[in-house]
Amino acid sequence: MEGSAQVPANDEEELFDTGSLPCVSERAAAEEAAPTNGQVLLKMVNIHKWFGRVHALRGVNFTVHRGEVVGLCGDNGAGKSTLIKVASGYHTADEGQIFFEGREVKLRSPKDARALGIETVYQEQALCPHLSIARNIFMGREPTTLLGLIDQRTMNKESMEALASMGLRLRSPHALVSALSGGQRQGVAIARAIHFKAKLVILDEPTIALSVKEVREVLDFVRHLRDQGVAVVFITHTLHHVFSVADRIVVLAHGCNLVDVRTKDTDVDELSDIIARGTLGDAVPTTQHAR
Amino acid sequence: MQRRLGQGLWLSFISTPLVFIITFLIFWAFSPGHRFVDPRNLAAIAKLTPDLGVVALGIGVLMICGEFDLSIASVLPLCSFLFAQLLIAGVDPFAALALMVPVGASLGLLNGVLVTRTGLPSFIITLSMLLFWRGVLYVVSGLMPISILPYVPTNSDFAHFLTGQVGSVPAQLLWFLGIAVVLGIVLHLGRFGNWIYATGSNPDAARAMGIDTHLVKIVCYMIVGALCAFAGIMQATRLGSFTASQGIGFELKAVAAVVVGGVSLRGGVGNMLGIALGVFIIQIIDNGLILLQVPVFGVNTFIGLAVILFVIINNLANRQFAEQTT
Amino acid sequence: MESQPIPFFVRFRNIGVLVVLIVLVAGAALLTPQNTFIQEANLKTLLALGPEFGIIALGVGVLMVSGEFDLSVGSQLALGSLIFISLAGAGINIYIAALLTCLLGVGIGLLHGLVVVKARIVSFIATLGFMLTWRGLTEILTAGKVRSYEFVQHETFVQIFTGRVGDVVPSQVIWFVLFAIVLYFVLHRGRFGNWIYATGDNAQAARAMAIDTHLVKIVCFMIVGFLCAFSAILQTTRTSAVTTHAGTGWELQAVAAAVVGGTSLRGGRGSMIGVFLGALVIMVIDNMIVQARLPYEWSYAAFGVVILAAALLDLGIEKQIQRAAV
Repeated sequence: MEGSAQVPANDEEELFDTGSLPCVSERAAAEEAAPTNGQVLLKMVNIHKWFGRVHALRGVNFTVHRGEVVGLCGDNGAGKSTLIKVASGYHTADEGQIFFEGREVKLRSPKDARALGIETVYQEQALCPHLSIARNIFMGREPTTLLGLIDQRTMNKESMEALASMGLRLRSPHALVSALSGGQRQGVAIARAIHFKAKLVILDEPTIALSVKEVREVLDFVRHLRDQGVAVVFITHTLHHVFSVADRIVVLAHGCNLVDVRTKDTDVDELSDIIARGTLGDAVPTTQHAR
Repeated sequence: MQRRLGQGLWLSFISTPLVFIITFLIFWAFSPGHRFVDPRNLAAIAKLTPDLGVVALGIGVLMICGEFDLSIASVLPLCSFLFAQLLIAGVDPFAALALMVPVGASLGLLNGVLVTRTGLPSFIITLSMLLFWRGVLYVVSGLMPISILPYVPTNSDFAHFLTGQVGSVPAQLLWFLGIAVVLGIVLHLGRFGNWIYATGSNPDAARAMGIDTHLVKIVCYMIVGALCAFAGIMQATRLGSFTASQGIGFELKAVAAVVVGGVSLRGGVGNMLGIALGVFIIQIIDNGLILLQVPVFGVNTFIGLAVILFVIINNLANRQFAEQTT
Repeated sequence: MESQPIPFFVRFRNIGVLVVLIVLVAGAALLTPQNTFIQEANLKTLLALGPEFGIIALGVGVLMVSGEFDLSVGSQLALGSLIFISLAGAGINIYIAALLTCLLGVGIGLLHGLVVVKARIVSFIATLGFMLTWRGLTEILTAGKVRSYEFVQHETFVQIFTGRVGDVVPSQVIWFVLFAIVLYFVLHRGRFGNWIYATGDNAQAARAMAIDTHLVKIVCFMIVGFLCAFSAILQTTRTSAVTTHAGTGWELQAVAAAVVGGTSLRGGRGSMIGVFLGALVIMVIDNMIVQARLPYEWSYAAFGVVILAAALLDLGIEKQIQRAAV
């Protein structure tokens, strides 16, 4: 492992200690908290993922219900990013099953995931700074006129509508994204998901590097999404951010499930303690198996 | 794990020397009458290679820190021209050399400051400088060669110093090797070398560690400028005159040589042994193909293909290295 | 919260280039001895020769928006000319010969794209290799000699490519404008254009939106290949001959044209109108220096200054955008 320090991290995967521990049975058994709201939307069962010799996901189970906001937490290298990249079709799982709306699905590419209604908003990778807001929202799915040209009018109108539905008022759809604040950028990226009728929006560290005010904006966007019946997976390091919006929190450690708990049944201190230690240890939350 | 890592490292270090040896053996075997290894031919290679080679050593260091410099092709003849002017003005050649090396370095300083202060791609900045200095040179020199033989005759101390022979080894080769060793020590054993790699592979991380990446880049540009001046004067001394066509095409040839030597254009990758051998590989192919009676003007085709091929090989080696360490 | 308006100057960057162009033309008209610049003979030459460069610059501009570039355009032009003249000389129907030449150009572009994208070689290096390769190949195939062919026998063909519309406007100008319009629609009004911008601006974001960035880049290389071949046909038909030096230096001039027109070397920024005007600026400077009876060498210095000025201008614009964002 000596060499790993000098090698730039693979752009797709954070490097982490491979360790040698398999998922301890008690961890693997960490069960889902009771659905907070209606039926199961996404269900991932026993997901395994290897990168070369690195066993990044070791049988993770993950469920999202319709209209639910799930916080996904864990230390660096816990497997959060890998898990959502599997869910968004960026990586394919080496083992395990994925169900969406009750049917088993195979996610071979981001296209497959998007066709199902899973939209992922990556932190800094979401937008093209030198393109206009409208062109960003419709990137890759531009509406065209009969002549095959971009239908600029529809694009402008619909992007302003999508932004307005988020409570985001921007002057013009022609403004360049580089002229927006960090919070507004997240808003544009989320508006894109809404406009394309996403059923599940995955937000990858949406509050990283944002000011307090901007964080509040983003959390408002998440509430807007929930109000419209869209399920949200909110990945973050900052428990405080996710606590105020999430219905349920899932913690991963070393590629395994560690905790799956309803927000109202726990508190920030308890969870941050567990995340910091990476094991349940003595501090097994009594509410862990809430059902 | 450790053992595999060793293998990967070994592979990425060995690919250039291996290519060098293979190229050498091919031309040895296939040149008519093994003329390639004729001492006179080898001596010619040893005399000609350092002109480009000395500059390429600097370019290699610069590329490891993530920048490059197209202006060398103009800075080199410009320094050679100014050197000739100094000689005409009656300056002692040694003093003129000592004066010109800092002048070259300050031309490099200008590049470095422009690149780091404006944040523009070095391609644009140094392309502008390439064209600008070439224009200036052509106008002031009127494209006329200037003989420096009256000031530094072939048997003068100065000519011996730069282009003479030690035993049967041409002085140019010794200069080239000497500079390569010095830069190799700087690059691989010194703290500054570590900063160069850090700047090239991840400037943000380097800055976070308190490394002044701008300063590192500026110093690398100055190294290139100084080496341009040195190479220009060395070449002028060998030729006995300044000519405006000195250095033409060096801007791309140097990049080609360095890339063949395993340096990545993205910065942070490469080593001094590879760079030095890369220059020789290009020169050997050039020389060897002519011995094989490939028409002179066709040589470019092979050099072009060789560049692409070697980059693919180097990429593979580096990727394997990266894979084995993750 | 309202987003800040974009400063006027930023939005109308192209007007800046237009002003520069007008000033240049006016300056050239006034300053050239006997006002030769605006005399009919010179304007005809400018408008007949200029588009050969301009058409290639348009393609390079599109490619640069996608975040890559191509140093081999000059060599592609020379090779294309040779292929076209050889096919025509072999008695193949002239239109079919032209079509085959264009297909070959597209094929070369495809090869460049594949090497850059699949072998993951920085386009600077890969196309540097191809620049040497194609130029060398042309030289081998012509054995350094001028090849000629009498195109006069194909009256209609000559009329289409190098004739005059209404006895005034050279056909080349029509082709140049036509390609600019087509590429304008591709780049600014079509879906593919949006993908090109997205690929150059933020390839990861583009991929996340299911845009095949590799394909986008390959197609852009193919556009360049096609335009080089087309330009080769124009040039060969005009001169009835091919020299191995055709298009030397155009690779950097084309980049200069795109940069003057506001295209970013980092990709994702630029406009077809800008590139079109940038190409005109370069064409006019080139012609002006000849007409002003300045030593041709000045053109180097002039290009250097123009590129640097354009790049610094864009830097200012970028800063204004940033400031507007805060």
